[in-house]
Amino acid sequence: MTDPFDRRTFLRRSAIAVLGVTATGLGVASYVKRRQVPWDREAFGPIPEARVALVRATSYANGLEEIVLDGLRAVGAEVRGARVLLKPNLVEYDPGTTINTDPRLVAATVVAMRRLGAANVIVAEGPGHRRDTQFVLTATGLSSTLADVEAAFVDLNTDAVVARRLRSHYTALRSLALPRSIVEADVVVSMPKMKTHHWAGVTLSLKNCFGCVPGRIYGWPKNALHKVGIEPAILDVAAAVRPNLAIVDGIVGMEGNGPISGTPVASGVLIFGNDPVAADVVAARSMNVDPERVPYLVEAGRFLGQADLERIRMEGEDPEREATDFTVLPSFAHLKVGSLAEPVPLPDAPG
Amino acid sequence: MSDHTFDSISEALAASRAPDGGFGPRAGLPSEPEPTALAALALGDGPARAWLEANQRADGTMTLSIGTVDNVASTALAAIALEGAAGRRAADAIADTRASRVPSSPAVPFNADLPGWPWTAGAFGWVEPTSMAVLALRIVLPEATDAIDHGTGMLRDRECVGGGWNYGNRIVLGEELAPFGQPTAIAMLAMQTADGDDLWQRGLATLRRLWRQEASGGLTLAVAAAALRVNRDDDATACTAALVETFARTRFLGDAVALAWAAIATGPGLDRLGVST
Repeated sequence: MTDPFDRRTFLRRSAIAVLGVTATGLGVASYVKRRQVPWDREAFGPIPEARVALVRATSYANGLEEIVLDGLRAVGAEVRGARVLLKPNLVEYDPGTTINTDPRLVAATVVAMRRLGAANVIVAEGPGHRRDTQFVLTATGLSSTLADVEAAFVDLNTDAVVARRLRSHYTALRSLALPRSIVEADVVVSMPKMKTHHWAGVTLSLKNCFGCVPGRIYGWPKNALHKVGIEPAILDVAAAVRPNLAIVDGIVGMEGNGPISGTPVASGVLIFGNDPVAADVVAARSMNVDPERVPYLVEAGRFLGQADLERIRMEGEDPEREATDFTVLPSFAHLKVGSLAEPVPLPDAPG
Repeated sequence: MSDHTFDSISEALAASRAPDGGFGPRAGLPSEPEPTALAALALGDGPARAWLEANQRADGTMTLSIGTVDNVASTALAAIALEGAAGRRAADAIADTRASRVPSSPAVPFNADLPGWPWTAGAFGWVEPTSMAVLALRIVLPEATDAIDHGTGMLRDRECVGGGWNYGNRIVLGEELAPFGQPTAIAMLAMQTADGDDLWQRGLATLRRLWRQEASGGLTLAVAAAALRVNRDDDATACTAALVETFARTRFLGDAVALAWAAIATGPGLDRLGVST
């Protein structure tokens, strides 16, 4: 096993990677060749063909179920007879902004999965800021929306846990407590809100996996993950959860000081992927963020999924043509497509 | 408060009792420190206390551990729930430890000299574990004045602008973060009977506002009702009524921690959370 990376090392190397891109034009390929292999090779096989569909969707009100159905079919989602777990982003409640995956999209996905033959569909989340899951569930409207489609909700913060040995080693965690509902699902669907993130640049389906680990062990916020470094933790947690599908809610996303205090932005897209890394890469590009400059996406592309836009089989719209220019904090200006800004070392996130 | 309310909530809580005498986070799950300590307090429960004693580490802590991560935050509840030497050992463990010292920064400003107590050993300090540590020390080890002052100082430092608390960040990247009901209530348990103190007054005023805004949450209502009762606030009756109504409708989704706090708020267990003055 290789040494885990602490956050400072990760940021330093990430900065080197980005400078390599901007200064030499060599891209990340030469950078990653110099790197260690912080994952067990036998646990991560060759990356299969990644299929991503970017679909225009400007409203949560009408026709969402058909859009989701078409999106899932476009990426070859196979859920017949499967126990499906939908993992939306439900972290906190603020009526003044759009922090969470919209409940109407979650409900439409429940119905679409059933129409595709799923044996069972549950919705599960472990909110990371608010300890009172019942409050977040009710206040956001997810509780009543799920009742309308008769779907069960599992609070991952209080679910039974299974200790899983980590097969990637970006952190020193060695093992992770995963909820039994996650472990026993045949298909885990990561359903993030399309948002900028003040410590990680963007938060999409990989970062959304933080909500899978229980707060009663890792705390509120899940600071045992912050402590080991957010970017390395994103990689280890996502590699442990290994979502099978991603549906990114970009109908209304969040820009600026996300993931909580940002500003709603009507980007009008839904992104479906049979490969969460590929879905995140396409989502980032559609936010006018260069995925090759997001270090954790570059790393994820080495073992967890397809991060090369040229090798992703795209359906639907072109992410460059459909891009909405998401405002990022000045510290992430270097992530934007075509930016000449240099990366700025970030302060450590508390944890 | 009718005995019927306490009995109904206690009955729902009892469903989370595991065969070994402790309590899991929901019915059917293995025993864990936090729901067991809360149930021991709520029910005055001998088997739950026995489970805590049997699972207390030699250093006095109660932990929930996975891999390299040790959640130690329940040590404070155990210190209150346990009796005699075992409770004292838990309190000593709290008095002897602190959260990791992390440098403050303009992005996330705080007093680095007041780290408080963490959820997980060796990590940053947050409001809920610090509040529980202060409460446990005030009840079990009141002579640990340095540690108590440290904790109350941390709570003052992390207070949200205008009063109350969230999980523990006051300002991030220039943005003032809003307080939440549940951590504000936990902090007000720790700050109880500090009459006249400005921090206490702002906290109570914030709690009176927040429990109403967040009344759909069972955990929030339960801890808020306990905090308001302990602080002899007039809002305690209305908050408890809302708690009873939400419990009747939802049974708090089977969350044993919320049920145990509700049993504490409506029953005799609350006396064990009172600080002598």
